[in-house]
Amino acid sequence: MRKIVLFGYTKTGREIAKLLLTDEYEVTIIDENPMQVALANEEGFFGRHTTLKDDKVLIEVGIGGEAEVLFCVSDDDSLNLFVTLSARNLDKNLKILTKILKKEDGKKMILAGANRTISPYDVGAAKAYRIIQKPKVSKVLNQLSSLRNSISISEIEIPKGSFLDGVHLNDIDMTKETNLIFLGMLDKELGEKFIFFAKGINHKIDARDILVVLGSRKDIRLFEEKIWT
Amino acid sequence: MLARWIVSFSYFLESSKRYKRVKTSIYNLLENPRSKIKPFFDFFIIFLVVLTVSILIYDVKNRLPYHFEVIENIAVFVFIFEWLGRFWISDNLRLRIISYYERKLELGEKPKLFTILKIITLQKIQYTFSPMSIIDLLAILPAYRSFRILRIFLIFRLFKMFRYTKSLNSFLKILKDKKFELNFLLILGIFAVLLSSTIMYVFEGGGENPKIHSFLDAIYWAVITISTIGYGDITPVTIAGRVITVFLVGGGFLILVLSTSVVTNALSEKISILREEKVLSHIGKLTNLIVIFGFGRMGQVLAAQLKKSHKKFIVVDISKENLAKAREYDYNYMHADASSYDTIDSVVFKNDVKKVVLTTNNDALNLSILLTIKARYKDLAVIARANSYENIKKFHIAKADHVIFPYQTVAEVAVEYIGNSVRFDAIDSILVQKDTITIDEILISKGSSYIGRSIDEIGINKFSVTIISVLKEGAKDEFIFNPDHYTYKFKENDSLVLIGEEKDIFKIKDDISRQMI
Repeated sequence: MRKIVLFGYTKTGREIAKLLLTDEYEVTIIDENPMQVALANEEGFFGRHTTLKDDKVLIEVGIGGEAEVLFCVSDDDSLNLFVTLSARNLDKNLKILTKILKKEDGKKMILAGANRTISPYDVGAAKAYRIIQKPKVSKVLNQLSSLRNSISISEIEIPKGSFLDGVHLNDIDMTKETNLIFLGMLDKELGEKFIFFAKGINHKIDARDILVVLGSRKDIRLFEEKIWT
Repeated sequence: MLARWIVSFSYFLESSKRYKRVKTSIYNLLENPRSKIKPFFDFFIIFLVVLTVSILIYDVKNRLPYHFEVIENIAVFVFIFEWLGRFWISDNLRLRIISYYERKLELGEKPKLFTILKIITLQKIQYTFSPMSIIDLLAILPAYRSFRILRIFLIFRLFKMFRYTKSLNSFLKILKDKKFELNFLLILGIFAVLLSSTIMYVFEGGGENPKIHSFLDAIYWAVITISTIGYGDITPVTIAGRVITVFLVGGGFLILVLSTSVVTNALSEKISILREEKVLSHIGKLTNLIVIFGFGRMGQVLAAQLKKSHKKFIVVDISKENLAKAREYDYNYMHADASSYDTIDSVVFKNDVKKVVLTTNNDALNLSILLTIKARYKDLAVIARANSYENIKKFHIAKADHVIFPYQTVAEVAVEYIGNSVRFDAIDSILVQKDTITIDEILISKGSSYIGRSIDEIGINKFSVTIISVLKEGAKDEFIFNPDHYTYKFKENDSLVLIGEEKDIFKIKDDISRQMI
């Protein structure tokens, strides 16, 4: 069981909790608002009414210990910032995802120690914008998410000794033979940042790099088998 | 007999498309506040007014060459045409006559000629003597030779400008609201003037003051004094005269100050209404408008994106705090309660709206706006934000065209982060544009040279874009995921969905528009 801490049983927190309701994860839900905690318990989760302002509570729920991921999704921006900062202080390797209100706040959260930030308002606005301005794109994205069973985004780590190890990206055209769309990669030499192939940089693929592909599960499986050769 | 003839002529006009078309175009030219041509016509009339009045002023000391008469004649001709046009479109007489005739028919009576004539004359006479029509007529009047003496009426043409300056009309409307206060001050002023001029005349009109010969002189003195202008050409000479002057100046000052504050107050009370009227008349001229209800965080982000792609939109919110942002960025905005029918009516129904986006964080409000719109125009596209999972279904029942539940999407992306961060980054960047990479669509329209060629052939690969799919236009959308770069040939109305740098996609779009055959 992977230990996950969810701070804030908000609209976002609630949806996250629903998705994590499997045997794979052990989710600790914490909220400062007793009403939200009551709601969480009512809906079948284990909610705790406490504050994360105290480091002792943070340690108690597993931060600095077993907890792997912390979702800071309360509705209070400054509280999210404080919890992010305290958690980072306790655990250098904890993965922290913090909710922000808008893009501009992202930098502040990253500085406080969040690994990634996400904003429901940005996501919602971007979606509305796509429907207005790029109706075809939103249709395709809807299709992709509704066809989740057949087409999915997948990440594939390049093993040592694979035929792709040491190859320059532009030298090969794999789209045709694999029937996959290659979106981008995480180049370990360039750090932890994901880079789209559409940026047009000719990457050299090395072992332990991670490719992100879009395609049917069957094709992805075939490709995974193939890269070992 | 004549009555029958008039009735059948009315029916003839009603059935004539040409008649209606001409009338509509005259209406568009003269009265329709939304028409594109009216502002030009208005400008032209104002120009003519200024020109003819300037000629009049120049004429006072200089002799004008004869051909300047021509300009005057042209101006008068235009003014006459304008007045006749307005006279014509002021009312739909034919409809009145027809409805009168049909009413009589139902009752089994014969239409009376007298009543029909009454309908015709009454309406038109009423128009002729309306203030606007009188101003127009006074502007035409001095053109007749025999009325040459009336040349001074030319300045009435200046009044014509009232018609074209909307803000002036609104200002007068505002003053109307303060009628009581202003009337009171006016009566007070008249009373003070009459009282003091009578006292002045009694004390100084009998030869004591050589400047005051008549009661009119006394009134003139009182007006000049009460208005605090005080030319000093007539000054009091007796003690009584001086005492009354002191009181008059004090009272005059008070009246002036009070009327100033009344007007200022009225203005500051109504300034937001004035602004809103202006915004509404502005958006009334726009086409393909997008209306955003709710200017919270989601509304703000959306508005910023729409502004970037030069879309025309208006935001409606009830919170002044939210709208401060809209003012800062110079968006069109309305401070109004979206739950009221009047707001939706004036913003959505009265304009050429393409899409409505509901972004408030209140599902009840979103639903109420949605239902109000759908009850009237079921084909108007509405995009609604749902704030709780349980309500998504209700939005679908209310026939929302798109329902956005941002929290679920966010949660789905967030959960990806538990695994490897790579996939999270990929999905997040596609869903929320974070850098210069964007997902976009390119339409292969009719006549494009891309038709019949493959992805490889059209040279898209020289840009490093990632092609996701081709969407085919049709009854049901056919969707080709990862089209083959060599064998798939483009057809008319295909849409190419791809990921790429903004500048690359822009270049491809540019390329396509240039290769149109």
